[in-house]
Amino acid sequence: MIKMKTELPEIFEGFADARQQGFLAMKELKDNGKGVVGQFCTYTPQEIFMAADLVTVSLCSTSDETIKDAEKVLPANLCPLIKSSYGFAITDKCPYMYFSDLIVGETTCDGKKKMYELLGETKNVHILELPHKQDTPEAKALWRAEIVRLKERVEKDFGVEITDEKLRDAIHKRNIERRLLKEFYELSTMTPPPMTGLKQLQVLFGSQFKFDWNDKVKEIRDAIDSVRTAYEDGERPVSEDAPRILVTGCPMGGVTEKVVKVIEDAGAVVVAYENCTGAKQMDRQCKEEGDPITNIADHYLQIGCSVMTPNPNRIELLDRLCEQFQVDGVVEMTLQACHTYAIEAYSIQRHLHEKNIPYLQLETDYGTADIGQLSTRAGAFVEMI
Amino acid sequence: MKVYLGIDCGSATCKGILMSEDEIIGQSIRPTGWSPQMTAQEIFDELTGQAGLQREEVKVTATGYGRVSIPFADRRVTEITCHGLGAQFILPGVRTVIDIGGQDSKAISVRDGKVLGFQMNDKCAAGTGRFLEMSAHRMGLDMDGFSKCLKAGKSCDLSSMCAVFADSEIVSLLASGKTREEVAGGVINSVAAKAAALAGKIEVKPPVLLTGGLCELESLKVILAEKLETEVKSDPFCRYAGAAGAALIGMRR
Repeated sequence: MIKMKTELPEIFEGFADARQQGFLAMKELKDNGKGVVGQFCTYTPQEIFMAADLVTVSLCSTSDETIKDAEKVLPANLCPLIKSSYGFAITDKCPYMYFSDLIVGETTCDGKKKMYELLGETKNVHILELPHKQDTPEAKALWRAEIVRLKERVEKDFGVEITDEKLRDAIHKRNIERRLLKEFYELSTMTPPPMTGLKQLQVLFGSQFKFDWNDKVKEIRDAIDSVRTAYEDGERPVSEDAPRILVTGCPMGGVTEKVVKVIEDAGAVVVAYENCTGAKQMDRQCKEEGDPITNIADHYLQIGCSVMTPNPNRIELLDRLCEQFQVDGVVEMTLQACHTYAIEAYSIQRHLHEKNIPYLQLETDYGTADIGQLSTRAGAFVEMI
Repeated sequence: MKVYLGIDCGSATCKGILMSEDEIIGQSIRPTGWSPQMTAQEIFDELTGQAGLQREEVKVTATGYGRVSIPFADRRVTEITCHGLGAQFILPGVRTVIDIGGQDSKAISVRDGKVLGFQMNDKCAAGTGRFLEMSAHRMGLDMDGFSKCLKAGKSCDLSSMCAVFADSEIVSLLASGKTREEVAGGVINSVAAKAAALAGKIEVKPPVLLTGGLCELESLKVILAEKLETEVKSDPFCRYAGAAGAALIGMRR
């Protein structure tokens, strides 16, 4: 069993107030004996940690604050998400990274895979081998075996037993959460949508940082009710004429909210997110009857990320969302040096062209220097629609 | 009579076109300098002054990177949309616009002046007017001297795609005995290659119009035409394409 971290980092005193609060909230959890697992990716099967009564936190960093530190080790020409996350780990500046007793990563893209090796030198890291095919028996068997290995690692590290019954309960709870978040974002199928894309993103992104399941579910329920009530009372935060945009591509949140802002400042509205922060994660339910490990494995393997080859599930979801949300245009955000999304952008553009749906790819990083360029591109795109 | 002023405030120069419903009444171009706001104001004063117009008789539409810093604009539209309309005004039936500006270059696919798709360069100065200006300066030439060098029809290989590295490459080339005529040809080739690469990402259909500050460089048109395998048209007025497009948008509503 591992020794859980409960002490604050040495540089705590130097932090601004908001960050100190983040650290103190995490410390309180730890002082109450809660173990914390950090994850990066939508492929991480959270049910395993939930069944072990552990807190799961998202470690994908979204600011350029620690990129300079990371670049002492990592190459400059690497995806900002990877650099930033590694940077927060080595500088002790992120409460979630700092207090994670176990960090779980997957062999998704090459950049993350090799970064995790370095992360493993200072943190307790477990790597899941994610197959890059979704439909062969060998890929399914490998992924199922990896889920079993993760369960055993968690049991050993935290001295707990994860029973099938607890796993079934966790699947059930996660399904409720997925269903509620889906109900929330589907409010924007209405014309005009009852909220801006920025508000939708902030709720979706923020839900990753609620640590008590009952509180989380209640907050999402409240968010749905308040948006719906305001709409019924006649509040119209978005114009009926605003072109309806779907956002796809790399994960979003934090600094990359700038992409949503430039789209909405140009007079359009983001109605749906196909990326990890949105529908990719919430759209489907995990099967509840039968062997829970197999159900978890099958559920997560079908996520349509560009690391998969081929990647038909992304196209399937994209088409369905475009229709359901009556989308006028698709904007893809790719992070600099994210090869799989950048290359797949060509296939997505070609596919949407055949369906006569306008498409724009915006490449960006975690800086703010490119807001002028982004707003010209987004502005021209909206004018074009 | 209502009059329409389009101001295209770019990173290098600020252009103004004053139009009535039927014709162009005035045009002006000046370096943007350090204050886009002040330069745009000067252009406004100059053109409305010449025409003897009051502020309320003129509808102002601003475009270009400086469009956000023109407080008196009635409307702001991106330069992509404006170049599409401006190009249609200059060359009716135009299908592809290649605009090489001071800090960015773009390829726009259009039909009846409406933008169908576009590509812009990344956050990088290579292939822009600024790159060309910097290279000329490195050779001790102004733009007139640079165009004269190009008339020799010579060239050399410039391998750096980065403006900073290309700058040091130019120094090495000159030091190794290459003439300014050859280096100038290499520079224009590199600008054309960048523009052609952008154009390759949209569907290039003739007629193709070159707009922006380099519209009078005959050799740029020739090299671009070779690379795109179709004729490239231009005209000295093409530097006003964005401003004319802005004035035309003002007319619409």
